Amino acid sequence: MSRSQYILKKFGWALLTIALVLILNFFLFRVLPGDPARAGVHDPRLKKESIEAIRVRYGLDKPVINCFETLNPVKVGSCSVNPLDTQFFIYMKNLLSGELGISYHNNRPVATILAERLWNTILLIGAGQILSIIVGAFFGMLAAWKARTSIDYGALATSLVVWSLPTFWLGIILLFWGSANGLPIGGKATPGLSSYPLWEQWKDIGRHMILPTLTYTLVYMGEYMLIMRSSLLDVLSEDYILTAKAKGLGIFQILRDHALKNAMLPLVTIIAINLGFTVAGAVQIETVFSWPGLGGAVFEAVNRRDFPVLQGAFLLITVTVILANLIADLMYSYLDPRIQAE
Amino acid sequence: MEILTQKNAAPPSSNYLLEFWRKFQRNRMGLVGLGMLTAIILVAVFAPLIAPHVPGSSLTIGVSDIYKPPSAEHLFGTDDAGADVFSNFIHGARVSLTVGFFAAFISIFIGGLLGIVAGFFGGRVENFIMRFTDVMLVIPELPLMVVIIALTKPSLLNIIFVIGLLGWTTTARMVRSQTLAVKSRKFVLRARAIGSGKAHIIRRHILPLVMPILVVQAVLVVSLAVLNESTLSFLGLGDPTTLSWGQMLNYAFGRGAMSTGAWWALVFPGFGIVWVVLGLTLLGQGLEQVFNPRLDTHHLMPGRPVVTSEAGVKPVKPGTLLDVQNLSINYVTEGKPPARAVENISFTLKEGELLGLVGESGCGKTTLMLALLRLLPSAGQIVGGKVFFSGRDLTALGEEEMNEVRWSGISIVFQGAMNALNPVRTVGDQIAEAIIQHVPTFPRDKISARVTELLDLVGIAADHKDHFPHQYSGGMRQRAMIAMALACNPQVIIADEPTTALDVMIQAQILELLDELRRKLGLAVVFVTHDLGIVAEMCDHVLVMYGGVTAEYADVDIIYNEPRHPYTQELLKAFPDLTKPKKKLSSIPGYPPRLDALPAGCRFAPRCPAAFERCHIEEPALHRIGANGHLASCHLIAEKR
Amino acid sequence: MNQEFLEVRGLKKYFEAGRPGLFSKDARKVHAVDGVDLTLRRSEVIALVGESGCGKSTLALLLMGLEDPTEGAVKFEGMDITHLNDSQRKKKELRRKIQMVFQDPYESLNPTQTIEEIITEPLLVHGMANTPDRDERVKKALEDAGLKPAEVYLDRYPHELSGGQRQRVVVAAALVLEPEIILADEPVSMLDVSIRAEIINLLAELRITRQIAVIFITHDLGSVGFFADRVAVMYLGRIVEVGTMLEVLENPKHPYTKALISVIPVPNPRLRHERIILQGETPNPINIPSGCRFHPRCPVAIATCKASDPPMVVVNKSHQAACLLLVK
Repeated sequence: MSRSQYILKKFGWALLTIALVLILNFFLFRVLPGDPARAGVHDPRLKKESIEAIRVRYGLDKPVINCFETLNPVKVGSCSVNPLDTQFFIYMKNLLSGELGISYHNNRPVATILAERLWNTILLIGAGQILSIIVGAFFGMLAAWKARTSIDYGALATSLVVWSLPTFWLGIILLFWGSANGLPIGGKATPGLSSYPLWEQWKDIGRHMILPTLTYTLVYMGEYMLIMRSSLLDVLSEDYILTAKAKGLGIFQILRDHALKNAMLPLVTIIAINLGFTVAGAVQIETVFSWPGLGGAVFEAVNRRDFPVLQGAFLLITVTVILANLIADLMYSYLDPRIQAE
Repeated sequence: MEILTQKNAAPPSSNYLLEFWRKFQRNRMGLVGLGMLTAIILVAVFAPLIAPHVPGSSLTIGVSDIYKPPSAEHLFGTDDAGADVFSNFIHGARVSLTVGFFAAFISIFIGGLLGIVAGFFGGRVENFIMRFTDVMLVIPELPLMVVIIALTKPSLLNIIFVIGLLGWTTTARMVRSQTLAVKSRKFVLRARAIGSGKAHIIRRHILPLVMPILVVQAVLVVSLAVLNESTLSFLGLGDPTTLSWGQMLNYAFGRGAMSTGAWWALVFPGFGIVWVVLGLTLLGQGLEQVFNPRLDTHHLMPGRPVVTSEAGVKPVKPGTLLDVQNLSINYVTEGKPPARAVENISFTLKEGELLGLVGESGCGKTTLMLALLRLLPSAGQIVGGKVFFSGRDLTALGEEEMNEVRWSGISIVFQGAMNALNPVRTVGDQIAEAIIQHVPTFPRDKISARVTELLDLVGIAADHKDHFPHQYSGGMRQRAMIAMALACNPQVIIADEPTTALDVMIQAQILELLDELRRKLGLAVVFVTHDLGIVAEMCDHVLVMYGGVTAEYADVDIIYNEPRHPYTQELLKAFPDLTKPKKKLSSIPGYPPRLDALPAGCRFAPRCPAAFERCHIEEPALHRIGANGHLASCHLIAEKR
Repeated sequence: MNQEFLEVRGLKKYFEAGRPGLFSKDARKVHAVDGVDLTLRRSEVIALVGESGCGKSTLALLLMGLEDPTEGAVKFEGMDITHLNDSQRKKKELRRKIQMVFQDPYESLNPTQTIEEIITEPLLVHGMANTPDRDERVKKALEDAGLKPAEVYLDRYPHELSGGQRQRVVVAAALVLEPEIILADEPVSMLDVSIRAEIINLLAELRITRQIAVIFITHDLGSVGFFADRVAVMYLGRIVEVGTMLEVLENPKHPYTKALISVIPVPNPRLRHERIILQGETPNPINIPSGCRFHPRCPVAIATCKASDPPMVVVNKSHQAACLLLVK
């Protein structure tokens, strides 16, 4: 299989997964008991007709899909309805035109609410991932190279401990520490800075990012450190390292030219596999630090029973993770020449 | 590493589980983890006895009882409802552990089942399961849990099922790859060949070997489930009727513990989670280390200092390229007497000479060769003797100076060329690297031409230059290694079993190539092998090693036609000779000695057909026989005199 | 005594080289075994010799019924066993009568089983484990395989034994079922030369004491020594020469056999001789060369070799070779 075929295959696979997630997302919210129409409309002032009007407005009076009127409780309906006139196709059509529904909470379009939050989350996860990978990989390398020394044992103990910390709890602890040291402890920016020069605003955002990013980095660097350590240990006991040594290369040359790239491969795989899990960290950190991101949106939507936002946020998170996964796969194919031989 | 292959005389173990426990006991990380876990399980089981107050109930409802700092009465203070945090903490352990273990059980069951089915049956079943797993893996777990629990009722049972039903993906992946690995091993094929059915094979052959992975994975999954439960509870999705640690944190965080500075309400419940997860993590790491013991060493660890003395050093004769004098090497392990891997080996190598180094595996051949280039693993130490190369004493050189000698003076071709070449760099690039390292002035634009020339010399077409090692066949890789070894015009090439594992015809091609290069380029070659036939075809001198010492060292003709050491004689008898149809093959009974448990007297005595009393008591000296440098270490030679 | 009891006719096995999919155009085939004829007599030893990739291991798997042949027939004691599945083979006692020994003794023993469990397992599978003489059988198999006294080994695990001992355990696990044929796939190539003779002598002894026929598969003709009665040389999925051992060694007819014999090392420097070293490696069995499949590497090929596939030529009653130079 050539590289272009590999890439095509990965692209196809990502698209297929996204399609599956769209379908899952639709049915999840119809099969499980939280009927969007019932849950969203609990204003006692509303009369039955008004509720019906709202249902019509959200298209919830239509059958869910051909043959099924509703799925919870399961009510079989006519199979001969125009498929384009079912909730499923309306949902798909709306999705394709970038419409995610309207928030029950504040009646704003979900897409608008989530769009700005998506970038905040990417900013947080991006900064956290990059930092934790750099720090984790560096100490992992150091630990492997200096295996069975106090440096190694120290790094190992640290990584196991930070790995065991619940993200939200570490966030809380850092919140205590941060507030004692005068760091901003919530939100993304200090209110009322919009008239300040751009540079000042950025600096402010940067200060707000310190604690969330620190939490993120600490939690995830442990695993990267462990992976890097064990994968570099494997590489360093390979015969080709002995060959490199026999060739008269210095230790740093060997590390740079023969060990790093090889040891990075398992790390990249883990980063790709982990993307889904790192979102969990974002949800917790955004909740603790009131960071206005997608994870925070999930938390708020759950508490307000705002299902369109929950549905939209879940969809956006999943699709982002799938795309990030695709990028990791493509990176891997450039790192490992053997991928074509598969 | 030859020393590690020596495990023949291990004491019989009575039971697999007992054996495992013995190893586990020596693993400190695992023991600490097990201790932490046992402690918290005891706390959970005996919670009603330990907790001073009924959980959740506040004693008196008064403002003064809320968020009281830790005191003798309330060890961990009180919470937002005036309840005793310590009591809640003790009872919280029950909830967290219950959810953790039950959810993990579901995950491990599903993951293990799907993994084994996918791995064992393969084909469409595997494809379907693994595609499904891939989709599940890429969907972020926590948000999905949040969505499902938000849509259903947040009860303990729901939480257990949601965590359990979503947490199996990594287990399925790992179990599948382990099943595949086990299935590809020959004993599974052999089980089929004797008529075992599928169920029998899974039960008797697959499961026992997948179990270790499953156990380690189970420990990990429990810890993840505990973390997930606490996170869900913290996000307000926990069962409101039970008080888990996450739930406690949810209430404290949501109800002003931060602003009132009530750190105790936030710190202690989290500490419980950390305790459980850390205990499980340590236990998992410990188990992993016991199941998959890894080498403690790697090639970049600093070596041990060389110990030599100037006493008894003879001057190097002119015309000698490599002069090894009384070289001794030990393997040092903490707390054990050193293993005498190589002792008092001497040989010389002249320009253009081909020396064969022969012996069974584990007799110290590779150790000796690595020591010449000072490439010993970190446990290896030169404890005596000298290595002179072109008049320089290699045992006295620093690492920097040694790097200059490596490859440009002496280069080495290793046994398995697949592993000796870096898989992610092209072959041409790896050859060029050696040139750039040792001839920094080499014009950059000519390097490519030089690499082509080298490949051509070993019979590889130039268009393979930019290929990766995996695109080469086994024979081509070994040729590429030879081309690389020639890159800096060395005077000596060490070929360490370069043709083992290759087909006879490819073997013949490689040998022919080495012989031709030696004539063309005037190289001196040390050829290491366990195959006497190969040596006879091309060597000038032969050094037969046994258990780390010289058995016999002589001209090739003497070795084959007038061998004096019984070991050489026995080796020759074991070798099939198609020119003598009536000769019955004989093997040498027994095994080479373990280097950490050498027999007293002659090291070959336990296997020697001619051994007599003196052989078991006294180590024989190296006797000189005749005038042409024939040496053998056997008491028989002295007795006959 | 010399009745032909295993008979192979025109046996072929093609593997798909990559499935035809969305991106790869055609399904290419690996011609692993491409028309093999072979007979084995009772208590006869045949050496099957060829380089890696010549299909000798696949042939063994076909004979064992561990792979399903694409074409051709295998007959055992007159019964057609070509396409029998696992359970039919077990029912017809084939899984008892034909046993296999693999190359790597480290890989062919389950590390979690004791030697006793390993030797008892075949009896268990064949419902022979509940007889009172079970322990006797197990001990006898071990001692016949040269592991004496058997008691010392029963409670041990494979990792506590040496390579040679492990290979003996594999042989014992085969012997316990009292087989009629042992297929040995490179049984000594992972072992040191000094202990290879151990295993070969063991197999030689068994054919005498137990009348077991042996198919000895190897890439190194030299390692078989004179233990085999007949030798069959395989190249790219086909047998190119077959004959009695002495006959083939002394008077090889096929140029490939000649080359193989010439590169066998002779442990005597006084007998150094000219070797015929074939250039290149065995071609990829996906693209079999036209005409004689050996012609691209053949040192004596003539023009017609490119065009026509040589038939098996009878040299004498006990010696055949497939070479156009022999067609007169």
